[in-house]
Amino acid sequence: MADFSYIPQVLVSGLGIGCVYGLIGIGFCVIYNASGIVNFAQGAFVMLGGMLTQGLLQRYGLPLLPAALVAIAIVALLGVVLERVVVRPLWDRKATMFTMILATLAAQIVIERVTLLVGGDQPKTLPMFTDLPPIQVSGVAVSYQLLWIVGSSLLAVAALAAFFRLTRTGKAMRACAINREAAALQGIPVSRMLAAAFAISAALGAMAGILITPTQYTAFNVGVPFAISGFIAAIVGGFGRPFGAFLGGLMLGLVQSLAILGFGAGLKTVAALSVLLLFLFIRPSGLLGAAK
Amino acid sequence: MTFRTFIAATLLAGSSILAAPAGAQETYKVGISAGLTGYAATVDRAWRDGVELAAEAINARGGVMGRKIQVIVEDNRSEPQEAVTVYRKMLSSDGAQVFVSGCVSAGNFAAAGLLVRAKVPMMLCSILPQQPDQLKWAFSTLPPAGFEVEKRLEYLRDKTQIRKVGVLHDPTPYANLQKSVAEKVAAKYGIEIVAIEQYKQDDADLSVQISKMRSAGAGAVLKIGLGGSTLTAAKNIKQLGADMLLLTSLEDLAVFGPVAEVLGDKFFFVASPSQVYDALPEGPLKAEITKFLGPWKAKYGDRDPNWASRGWDGLMLTATAVETGKSFEGAAVRDAYEGIKGFQGTTGVYNFSPEVHQGITENPFVLATIVNGKIKVVQ
Repeated sequence: MADFSYIPQVLVSGLGIGCVYGLIGIGFCVIYNASGIVNFAQGAFVMLGGMLTQGLLQRYGLPLLPAALVAIAIVALLGVVLERVVVRPLWDRKATMFTMILATLAAQIVIERVTLLVGGDQPKTLPMFTDLPPIQVSGVAVSYQLLWIVGSSLLAVAALAAFFRLTRTGKAMRACAINREAAALQGIPVSRMLAAAFAISAALGAMAGILITPTQYTAFNVGVPFAISGFIAAIVGGFGRPFGAFLGGLMLGLVQSLAILGFGAGLKTVAALSVLLLFLFIRPSGLLGAAK
Repeated sequence: MTFRTFIAATLLAGSSILAAPAGAQETYKVGISAGLTGYAATVDRAWRDGVELAAEAINARGGVMGRKIQVIVEDNRSEPQEAVTVYRKMLSSDGAQVFVSGCVSAGNFAAAGLLVRAKVPMMLCSILPQQPDQLKWAFSTLPPAGFEVEKRLEYLRDKTQIRKVGVLHDPTPYANLQKSVAEKVAAKYGIEIVAIEQYKQDDADLSVQISKMRSAGAGAVLKIGLGGSTLTAAKNIKQLGADMLLLTSLEDLAVFGPVAEVLGDKFFFVASPSQVYDALPEGPLKAEITKFLGPWKAKYGDRDPNWASRGWDGLMLTATAVETGKSFEGAAVRDAYEGIKGFQGTTGVYNFSPEVHQGITENPFVLATIVNGKIKVVQ
């Protein structure tokens, strides 16, 4: 095969999916920082983002943007509910960390099943945000959806950075991440920060789900693979470092795409994980170093 | 008595009470091992519903040889280990006399040895086990894997200028089988396969594979595999601005609506006759499908009839085997299956013999597309 013009194309695709992994990875970090919990229901947020938007679009005839915003709001609310109903009671009873992690996994399964019952098992999708043929840049097709994904992700990351740096709540959340007891002693309502963390990461997950759905399909069971990729992204970035997670996501997306080229899709994840494992041997604390 | 033994005792007592009146009016017990949950859920639920619909139809006309058909369904969760458990349960405690089981091929393979020892035959939705002694007791309603591929190649040869194609398949045994058929027969249709790429069912992006095919000169993608990935492939083709046709394998019609919206006239799918009922010419095939589709539509509306119609065929073939063999005995039913010739089913004509246990021997499939929301047969 003499024609390797598809390699830049592959990198572009990897970048797009990488942004999505990154957003999901950030979600993991935000909750982890506030509580020390790894929230395995993160995938459910991603799935619900796509499914709810599709439902609002189809059933209630809302235009795309309001439907997406409403979906993000609902999922964020659900994040808070999850925190109140599942995590908080365990937290208050001083349950061990792995009990809470397991509880989030259970919540993931419940949400998935409920979605199956309500939404059915058929795959659905969203229309492209801008339904135009892709832009051709010297033989590489750049679709408008890709621009939406990259643009929105960067915006979200920037907004998040501003939030953590400039607002009181953001600063308080960072304080919790550094040391929860000390933060509590300073009068920071740690449990409210926990709820806020769930809301933020649920919203990020939903946003990731909405951005990616126009390029693929969504169904009740798409959440878990995304959650796994997001989790890997978070680890690569240095668990607990939101921006590291974003970089980790980009890296994972690129490595996966190249792995499909080199080894085929069957070994995509194996190859990607091997590379990342090697990377972690060299730099055990992740791209940006461990949070704590 | 521990709590657990108490429960066990209660269940035992309960089941013997339930079993007692069976002697009063004997039934013919048909077992279904189906993946009601797990990856095969959509297909196997439909298969089960088709079998049950056929049972109702047969019972309404008085049953088979004076006995009503009783269908026993167990969920194998689309897992082979689980399938062995449910087969054993249906054999020993339910007394299933024949199996008309779903599409989880690995599960049917795993249990095949069990059925050979019990001398109980099975009529399957899935491909057949390979071992000769197991094959002896297994029959299938599934058309040979090559038919789906050949129908697509035929279309490309007859109706398009495309001579280079890419094959995109998932890692299931059935998809691999189709892939190897494609490799073998493409040349016969004057078509060159320039790229073979795999994907996994939960992959979020297939544009890498599609880019590779395009740069290898493929003008069409033959996609082999079930599920939402067809939608992902369609979306990716459009995103890449690739001028390629997408020809997918047999699938639930519900998936195709959104795909057609994305790709329009560049999208084609292999369909079984019951899926394109309105476009079928009058004849014995259409008449048979009418018998099935009437009650199916009454009960399930617009739900896809493809797998259910094969489930219907599976039970109808079984009833025919019992009637021609004049026996409910497993061995007799097995022998009678082999004697069924020219049986008009909803999926095509079945011709079994001692050598041929996959009854459909003539390609029943059509190639279809969706124009303005309506299905149109093109080949």
